[in-house]
Amino acid sequence: MGNIFDFLLVNPMTNALMLLYGALGNSYVLAIVALTLIIRLLTLPLTLRQQISAMKMSALQPQIKALQEKYKNDPQTLSQEMRKLGFNPLSGCLPLLIQFPILIAMYQAIIRTLAVTPLSLVELGSHTYSFLPGIASLVPINSTFLGIFDLGTPDRFFIIPILVVVTTYFANKLMTPPTTDPTMRQTNQMMQLMMPMMFGFFMLSTPVGLGIYWIVSNVAGVLQYYITKPALDRARAMHALPAVATADAQTAPGAAAPAKPLFEPPKAKVKVKAIGTVNRSAAVKKKGQPPRTGSPRS
Amino acid sequence: MIQSLDPHIMVRPLHLARALVLGLVLLAGCTGEPQPTSFAGVTVVGSSAYLASNLYVHKLDAGTGKEFWRFPGMQEGQEPVGPFAGQPVKLGNQIIVGGTLRFGDVPDRRLYAISDVDGSELWRFLGDDTTREYADGVETDGKLVFAPNGNGTLYALDPSQLQEGQPKVVWAFKTGNRLWSRPLVAAGRVYIPSLDHTLYAVDAAEGKEIWRFTAGASIASTPTLSEGRIYFGSFDQSFYALNAEDGALLWKAPVEGWIWCQALVDDDVVVVGDVKGKVYAFDAASGKRLWTAQTGGPVRAQPVAVGDYFYVVSFDSYLYRLPRRPALDANGATTVEPVRVLENGLGRRLLSTPQVFNSLLLVPLFDGDIKLVAVDLATGRKAYEFRVAP
Repeated sequence: MGNIFDFLLVNPMTNALMLLYGALGNSYVLAIVALTLIIRLLTLPLTLRQQISAMKMSALQPQIKALQEKYKNDPQTLSQEMRKLGFNPLSGCLPLLIQFPILIAMYQAIIRTLAVTPLSLVELGSHTYSFLPGIASLVPINSTFLGIFDLGTPDRFFIIPILVVVTTYFANKLMTPPTTDPTMRQTNQMMQLMMPMMFGFFMLSTPVGLGIYWIVSNVAGVLQYYITKPALDRARAMHALPAVATADAQTAPGAAAPAKPLFEPPKAKVKVKAIGTVNRSAAVKKKGQPPRTGSPRS
Repeated sequence: MIQSLDPHIMVRPLHLARALVLGLVLLAGCTGEPQPTSFAGVTVVGSSAYLASNLYVHKLDAGTGKEFWRFPGMQEGQEPVGPFAGQPVKLGNQIIVGGTLRFGDVPDRRLYAISDVDGSELWRFLGDDTTREYADGVETDGKLVFAPNGNGTLYALDPSQLQEGQPKVVWAFKTGNRLWSRPLVAAGRVYIPSLDHTLYAVDAAEGKEIWRFTAGASIASTPTLSEGRIYFGSFDQSFYALNAEDGALLWKAPVEGWIWCQALVDDDVVVVGDVKGKVYAFDAASGKRLWTAQTGGPVRAQPVAVGDYFYVVSFDSYLYRLPRRPALDANGATTVEPVRVLENGLGRRLLSTPQVFNSLLLVPLFDGDIKLVAVDLATGRKAYEFRVAP
C-alpha cells in the first residue's frame, strides 16, 4: 500500500519539487510555492465540485428534515426516501477524501527533498527517477533561505511559527461558516484560536521548509477562496443558501448583522407531495419571503 | 452528519487533516527510542566488537554478544550526549566516536573518546560554532584522527596532545558542502568525499590539497584504494576509477541509481551497490561490467567477501548471498540471482557494513530494540541478537 502511495503521489511530487527547484534558480522556497499553487490548481475542480455538492446537500435539508420527521419510526423507509430524494452524503466527502492523500504526499515530498539527515538522503535517492539524472546534481538542496533560515531545521527566531499562527488564524477565520447557533459559534471561536496555536507549537520543532509550505498553502487557500467566491455565490443563490459571510461579520463586536439569507428553510412541516419533490415555493410564500429563482435540484 | 456537509465547513477537515499529519509525525518521535538519523556502525578488534548505535556506544564480546560496557552511563541529571553513528575507531586505549543528528535534526556536534577499559569518557572535542554532526564516524592513521563533519570541514586531531581537555587540531580542511561519509586514509593521504560533488586528496600530515576530482553530483561513497586506483561512486549514477597519484580518470561506468556504498575490491573485481538496490561487479582494470544482481532495497553498506560468497545487506531488511565467481556471459550481461540468507530477514532496515568475526557476520540494524544480529555463515542461522532494553 505504501509503495502504491509512493508510486502514485509521493514520488511524482518529490521529483516535481526537485525539477522546480532546479528551474527556479535553486530556490527551494520558490519550488514549494510553485508546487503548492500547481496542486491547488489541479485540485480546483475537485474543490469546487465538493463545495457545490455540499451546497446541494444543504439545499435538500428542508426536505430531509421533513422526511426525518415523517419516518422517524421507520428508518428503512427513511433511508429509501432520502436516496430517492438524491441525498448522498459521500458526494461532498469524496473529493475531500481524494485531497487528503495529496496533502500527506506533499508533506512527505518536502521532508524527503530537504533530506536533512543521511537516512532521508538515501530515501531521496531511492525515489528519484533514474530517467531524470539531472536531478541528482541538485542534491543536496540549498537549505538556506534569506540568509538566516535553514530550511531543514526548526526556526530559532520563531518567525516562521508566528507566521504560521497568523496565516492559519486568518485563513481559518475567513473560511469558517457563519452560524446562528450560539454553541456552534463558541466552538468556532475556540477552534479559530486553538488550531493556529497548535500549528505554531508544532512548527517549533519542525523544519522551516514545512512551515513555509504551511504559510503558502494558507495564503493560496485564501486566494482561491476569493477567486472562486463569485462562482460559489452564484451557485449559492441558485440553491437559495445564505450568502457568503465571514465569521468576522458575525462575531466581531459591533459588526453589522450578517446578511439575511435569501431563503430560510421552512420551520413548519412541509408536505411531501411526491417522492423527491417538495412544493417549497408555496412554503416560502406563506412566510412572506421572495420566491426562489433557481430549481432546487439543478 | 448533514450539518457537517455545509459547504463552508468543508474547509475545516483540510485543516484537521494537516493537524493529524503533523501530530502523527511528532508522535512518532515521542514514543520509545527516538528514530536514528544516521547509520549505526560496528568495528571488530580482537575478540571485541564496538557498536555505535543511536543512543549508545557498546563494547561487546564479538563471539557471544555479551555487553562489557555502554556509553553514556545515562546517570540521572547528566547532560544528554549522542546519538552516535558510524564505525567506532580504536586508537590505543581510546574508542573514538562522533555524535550525530538528534530527532528534530539538532546536531550533537561533539566527538568523544571513550576508555576501552570501562567505557568512561576520556575527552570530547567541541569544535567551533559551525561544527555539526559526525554522520559516519571517523578514521585514523594510527596517530591522528580524521573527523569529517556536517559543516563541510575535515578535522585532523591529535589525541596525544590535549589542550584544555580537547585534542589539538593539527589542521582543518574545508570543503563546499557536508561531509557525511568517512574518508579513506592510506599511504600518507586522506581522500575526502564531499557532497559538494568533489573528491579531495589531501596530505595527511599537513592538510594540503594534492588533487581534486569533481563528479556530476554529490559524493557520499567512501573511496577504496587498490593497486594505485581509487574507486568510488557518485549520485550522478556513475562509478569511477581514478589514478590515486594524480586523480586522473581511468574509467567511468554507468549505474542505475545513486551510489553511497563503499566499493569492495576482490582481486580483479570491484563490487558496489546503489540506492536502487542493484549490485554491480566491474573489472577493476577496465571498468567492464561483469554481472549485476538486484536486491529489494537500497544498498548503502559495503559488501563483504567470505569464502565463496559476497554478502550484501539491503534496506529491505535482508542479508543476501551472491557467488563470488559466477559463470559469466561473454557479453557482460550476466544477472546473478541473490539468495536470502535468512528467509524472514532481520526485520529492520540494514544500512551499515557488517563485520566478520570467525564464522559470524555481525550485522548492525538501523533501528529497533535489537541493535546487532550475529549470523553464523556456516549454518545460515542467527547465532545471537544483541538487544537494548527499551
